[in-house]
Amino acid sequence: MDRRWDDCERRCPRLGGPVTFAYCRDHGGDRPGAPCGKLLDCWWERFDVAAYLQANLPAETVAKLLQREPRPKIHSLLEMIARARQDLDD
Amino acid sequence: MTNRKILLTEDEMPRQWYNILADIKLNPPLGPDGNPIKPEDLAPVFPMKLIEQEVSTQRWIDIPDAVQSVYRIWRPSPLVRALSLEKVLDTPARIYFKNESVSPPGSHKPNTAVPQAYYNKISGIERMTTETGAGQWGCALSFACSQFGLECKVFMVRVSFDQKPYRKSMMEVWNGRCVASPSNETRAGREILAKFPDTPGSLGIAISEAIEAAVSDPSGKTRYSLGSVLNHVMLHQTIIGLEAKLQLAKVGDYPDVIIGCAGGGSNFAGLAFPFVLDKINGKAIEIYPVEPAACPTLTKAPFVYDHGDTAGYTPLLPMHSLGHSFMPPPLHAGGLRYHGMAPTVSQLVDEGLLTPKSVNQLESYAAGITLARSEGIIPAPETTHALATVIEEAQKAKEEGREKVILFNWSGHGLLDLGAYDKFLAGQLSNFELPEGVIAESEKVFAHYPKPAHLKRG
Repeated sequence: MDRRWDDCERRCPRLGGPVTFAYCRDHGGDRPGAPCGKLLDCWWERFDVAAYLQANLPAETVAKLLQREPRPKIHSLLEMIARARQDLDD
Repeated sequence: MTNRKILLTEDEMPRQWYNILADIKLNPPLGPDGNPIKPEDLAPVFPMKLIEQEVSTQRWIDIPDAVQSVYRIWRPSPLVRALSLEKVLDTPARIYFKNESVSPPGSHKPNTAVPQAYYNKISGIERMTTETGAGQWGCALSFACSQFGLECKVFMVRVSFDQKPYRKSMMEVWNGRCVASPSNETRAGREILAKFPDTPGSLGIAISEAIEAAVSDPSGKTRYSLGSVLNHVMLHQTIIGLEAKLQLAKVGDYPDVIIGCAGGGSNFAGLAFPFVLDKINGKAIEIYPVEPAACPTLTKAPFVYDHGDTAGYTPLLPMHSLGHSFMPPPLHAGGLRYHGMAPTVSQLVDEGLLTPKSVNQLESYAAGITLARSEGIIPAPETTHALATVIEEAQKAKEEGREKVILFNWSGHGLLDLGAYDKFLAGQLSNFELPEGVIAESEKVFAHYPKPAHLKRG
């Protein structure tokens, strides 16, 4: 893993405070270890993050990030409601 | 003497919100299965009145008396003529701002937190849950719930929880309960903590926890609340622009340019949507949603001759460049990052009614300092993005010798974000360095290109 960028910091537009690139790569997603879906949005101006991801993350993860279409918030809400209800039934 | 503040009396406060869905065509919200969303799909997390507002195409929606009563704690918010800023910039522009920092939590967020709490209360709900990043939204909802006697639980992303302890204090003063996410209070949180006890959390996890906490309440008396993006949130925020219109009319002015920062879209929409209606009806107004860029290209990348396109077809031009093969994601083509943006704002950009702008972090903080030292209020970091564009427009007006009227939204104060100002003033926000080797790598691309001269005037 190339860690040159890990300590670079920027203000996270979602959290409203400073975060490191390592946070965005390793913790920003829906579960620990998953990258934030806005990783490319936020870091592309700093360095060639697409090339970085391709060199350092599993191909499937990178493909998801690169192909990520803007997703209506309502979709993720509905998914989370369904998941919470499923957990309740279990 | 010119008045700084243009005030409305409480009796003059608008009694209806403006619903932009009456005037634009928006693709109906579809579920992940591709079928239109049914009200019952959202009922586990929102009361029916808010679901109705989410899909309503009625242009004007009454603001309930109980909501107006709470709004009056700080509303109507002042419209301020930025006389000191105008003087500092020596601009012929007349600059006005809506001061939303005067609300109890210090931002525009209670404009929707209050009606959301109200509609939950009258639906028999006793508890609300939500997530918060920086803590502004958690504070706003805690405040709103306290006004209507509701319990409030806020899942605050661990990394922010540790960075901003006073946000938790504010929530708890308003009787909200703020827990760091992931927490042991939900199944989702417990599972994550079991595997990753030191995780700093994420907004996605916090939302999952807040939704689970609402859905899993066996009494059925808990609901979830969201402070951005959704249509009903934009609707409630339009009180900002509606007041501004009345206030500007009092002094016989009307904006040529409207500027707001665009994160989830709500403070921008709140100011802009009532004016978008005028633009739809033929008024000539420029409306700019402004979002942050992190671009260090100008200051950090080498000054070289490079192609303007990735294929290398365009002429070689002198520029600061990280190399023409450097590929930004196509999403940036419009200049606005659409992820997480309100669908209504995205739609208006798509229709050409809004012109997105972006500004970098250093410009933003510099503008924030200029405004704090002229108008006195320390702006929230997100507000500073709008301020940088305001200054740019005011300077443009000076160059053009035009008495342009600029209106912007001062969406919140930054009194709990002073760490960011410390860093800016200490020069630490400008110390981003491209790691060793990267510039050298970039320069390999340009090895056989001519080098531009660094020309200076005089």
